Amino acid sequence: MTMTPIRGRLAAAVLLACAPLSATAQEFTPETPECIAPANPGGGWDFTCRQVGKSLQDLGLIPSTMQVVNLSGGGGGVAFAEVVNKRNDDDDLIVAASSATATRLAQNAFPGNTMEQVRWIGSVGADYGVIAVADDSEIQTLPELMDAIKEDPTSVAIGGGSAVGGWDHLKVLNTAQKAGIDDVRSVKYIAFAGGGEAVTQLLAGSLQAFTGDLSEARGFVESGDIRVIALLSPERLEGEFSGFPTAREQGIDAVGANWRGFYGPGDMSDEAYDYWVSQIDTLYDSPEWQAIMETNGLAPLDLQGEEFQQFVTDSVQNIEDLSREIGIVQ
Amino acid sequence: MELMSNLADGFAVALTWQNLALALMGCFLGTIMGALPGLGPSNGVAILIPLAFTLGLGATPSLILLTSVYYGAMYGGRISSILLNIPGDEPAMMTCLDGYPMAQQGRAGEALALSGIASFVGAFFATWGLVLLAPQLVKVALLFGPAEYFALFALAFATLGGISSTNQAKSAFAAALGLGLAMIGVDTQTGVPRFTFGEVHLYDGIDFLVAIVGLFALSEVFIFLEHRGTDRDISTKPKMEIGRIVPSWGLIRSCIPTMGRTTVLGFVAGVLPGAGASLGSFISYSMEKRLVDRDGTFGKGDPRGVAAPEAGNNAAAGGALVPMLALGVPGSGTTAVLLAVLLSLNITPGPLLFTQNPDVVWGLIAALFIGNFMLLAMNIPMVGLFTRVLLVPPRILMPIVAMISFVGIYGISGSSFDLMVMVGFGIMGWILRKLDVPLVPVILGTLLGNEMEVNFRRAVNISDGDYSVLISSPLTIMLWTIAAIGFVLPILVGGLVRRRMRMARDAESGVRD
Amino acid sequence: MSDRIFGGIGLILALIFAWQASIIQESFLTDAVGPKTFPYLIAIVMGLASLYFLLKPDPEPDWPRAGRLAEIGFAALVMFAYAQALPELGFLIATAIVAGYLTWRLGSRPVESLIIGVGTSVGIYVIFRLLLGLSLARGPFGL
Repeated sequence: MTMTPIRGRLAAAVLLACAPLSATAQEFTPETPECIAPANPGGGWDFTCRQVGKSLQDLGLIPSTMQVVNLSGGGGGVAFAEVVNKRNDDDDLIVAASSATATRLAQNAFPGNTMEQVRWIGSVGADYGVIAVADDSEIQTLPELMDAIKEDPTSVAIGGGSAVGGWDHLKVLNTAQKAGIDDVRSVKYIAFAGGGEAVTQLLAGSLQAFTGDLSEARGFVESGDIRVIALLSPERLEGEFSGFPTAREQGIDAVGANWRGFYGPGDMSDEAYDYWVSQIDTLYDSPEWQAIMETNGLAPLDLQGEEFQQFVTDSVQNIEDLSREIGIVQ
Repeated sequence: MELMSNLADGFAVALTWQNLALALMGCFLGTIMGALPGLGPSNGVAILIPLAFTLGLGATPSLILLTSVYYGAMYGGRISSILLNIPGDEPAMMTCLDGYPMAQQGRAGEALALSGIASFVGAFFATWGLVLLAPQLVKVALLFGPAEYFALFALAFATLGGISSTNQAKSAFAAALGLGLAMIGVDTQTGVPRFTFGEVHLYDGIDFLVAIVGLFALSEVFIFLEHRGTDRDISTKPKMEIGRIVPSWGLIRSCIPTMGRTTVLGFVAGVLPGAGASLGSFISYSMEKRLVDRDGTFGKGDPRGVAAPEAGNNAAAGGALVPMLALGVPGSGTTAVLLAVLLSLNITPGPLLFTQNPDVVWGLIAALFIGNFMLLAMNIPMVGLFTRVLLVPPRILMPIVAMISFVGIYGISGSSFDLMVMVGFGIMGWILRKLDVPLVPVILGTLLGNEMEVNFRRAVNISDGDYSVLISSPLTIMLWTIAAIGFVLPILVGGLVRRRMRMARDAESGVRD
Repeated sequence: MSDRIFGGIGLILALIFAWQASIIQESFLTDAVGPKTFPYLIAIVMGLASLYFLLKPDPEPDWPRAGRLAEIGFAALVMFAYAQALPELGFLIATAIVAGYLTWRLGSRPVESLIIGVGTSVGIYVIFRLLLGLSLARGPFGL
């Protein structure tokens, strides 16, 4: 760690020395831009890397093709450790991340690693949480569901696409807590391998409610198989989702967004950091990216640089508090 | 006849030069990737996603390319199973059992051609099933709650007794070993790590591809090392004969009933999310063995033992598309990847897909038909080419197989740790083979272990700890009954009979996993 | 005898498995079944199966002589080393060495093995890296 400031200063000195020679030299451009997807091909992180990489190149924001490297393991922990331990000063590297990364960091699921060890670059959108029931369910509103749980927690099985303590579960627990359920641990949550599987079991009648992301639920909502009783966003969304009531307007102040974004190595130079922040920022504002967000059901979450760093810090803190409260972390 | 006009529209979409070229390319690449150990259908599809993106393909062409790869890989997996006794991917595992003995008897050409035909039959009728029955089949999938899935997996393990003629206790041990290995990693229900020894690399569990490549491919290398220079050294033996390349009509005809039954069985297994192609080929083989293996020829190079798993796994591949398209639920690893592709192409699979994006669905289905015929046309003439592999001396071939295995795993996960686990599996595979412990149950255990446990726990959880939920519905009772009467009972009662039969038969040595 | 030893090892394995299952750190938040039940069931099956062939062993397999055993052990070591060296040496070099070694041990002449090793490595590189675009390990010279 002691090397860093010295090297930083050295780099600055070199830059200063070069400045008179070429006016544009201080601007950083990556030689071989690389994006690590901390999972196997085909998953959410893989697609964040590939889609952003492709869009950046299409828009001419990076000089060459983004090389996507899959480094799976430990729910992103292997990639995190690799970046911290081996590639801590790589300026060409960004890594895909999401709420799942923050959740695991908050719950110490990456042994020995903390969020301060990397630099958080920016978000490219968010997927708001929903709580839904089968179309023929008697439950009409979120408070009704919460009342049913209060009355008899064993009567309501809620399914979601993450493990116990994972993001889909935390959303329900947070909501339950905000709805005044004292022992949130009594909420019956059944974990599935993905949102789709959970919805299927909701339709099959094994479950009474579903917690997941909007993008997972939308197809079934449009077909009329399931009903969204609460959207976990600060306010109603625009466009085709405007009919979904938020939890807030039903008197339960719960918000849950599954964001997607990137972090970079902790000793990334400031020039490189600024470069990536501004490229992601430019990408986010482009009509092309807005169209991609639209088609993927991503809601706006436009945070880059310091703002994003703060946002991740806050959400890690929130998840940690909640996890501690329900006893997932001691 | 709305269906026919839809299908005609689909063919209109699929029958452009570009799409035909893509289908051909997909089939070809898929066959190769299927045949290479370490690369299966799911990896094959994943690897080619960037290609579809860089070519700037639209939704339908991308899907045509990738599903051709999928079908191609399902065809290709059998090639290395038959020629090298190394399954190219996990559904082709069962094809080793009779395919390799056939090759050893100098009938490699016949086995390859027959399995190609069986693959075609399975895939062709499964695609029709997809066209005609998709909406109804969705309802079948909805009949399966957690308790039913648990019973189904239990049935799969009960059939294990039927497939290996060796010591049943060793089968049970192998299954327990596989299940135990599946337990490694973060528990998906409660999020606590199990059997990880604090090693982050183990948190995601052991990838069954790592297990299968290690157990089959690397242990094969060790076997060759062991036998080099001894009288069992294959490289000094006269060259393995390839035999006739076109199977006789009589041979094909004798397998028709088998293909018919296993196509149906495989298709249904494929439709159930979480079961998938491996279960399809596995159940197809064991059911067929139970039904028609009167002379005990299964496992010794019976052509029906080659036709059954191939028709079964290709039918399951078609079946797995039903829940993916109609529910947006992946029925297997490959369909999970395809699902992600669909999402990234702005298509939301689900109940409305057939009405909202008919061009995509019907174009895809038409492409499946075209791809199928291409694969048949490509695979039969290429049998001669494939069998050339046998002419490469093992001292050159085996290192290549080993290195390809390493590359396949490393290229996907980028993890040295996975490679070391794989070598560990290689050693374990060699020891197990020496002790005559079958390897198939180990793989089945690692493949299905998590799903089996998770559904068991979901079922009991939903019923608040009441274990009787496991046998509460008619469907569960039916599945348990089949498992008990069809498979467990014969082991208990028939043990004596079989022992006498086994003694009568020549206890042939060699590897028969 | 082998089966008896194997049965003993299997029994120990089952016990270790059960023991490891018993020390799984359960979180406060657990389901009705818990993360331990299924592993216990597996351990029981494994233990019973091991007992069976401990008591009723199959005929002895023919084990290779010590030299051959060492051969296999060394090949496994080379493969372990390969896994470790891959990120350092890069794909082409590491693969050429290991493929060459295996070819040599399987009975090719040394020079021949070297050529085959390099050929294997380059061939796989061309197919997987250049054609299929997989990210293989990059070595010192960017290869």
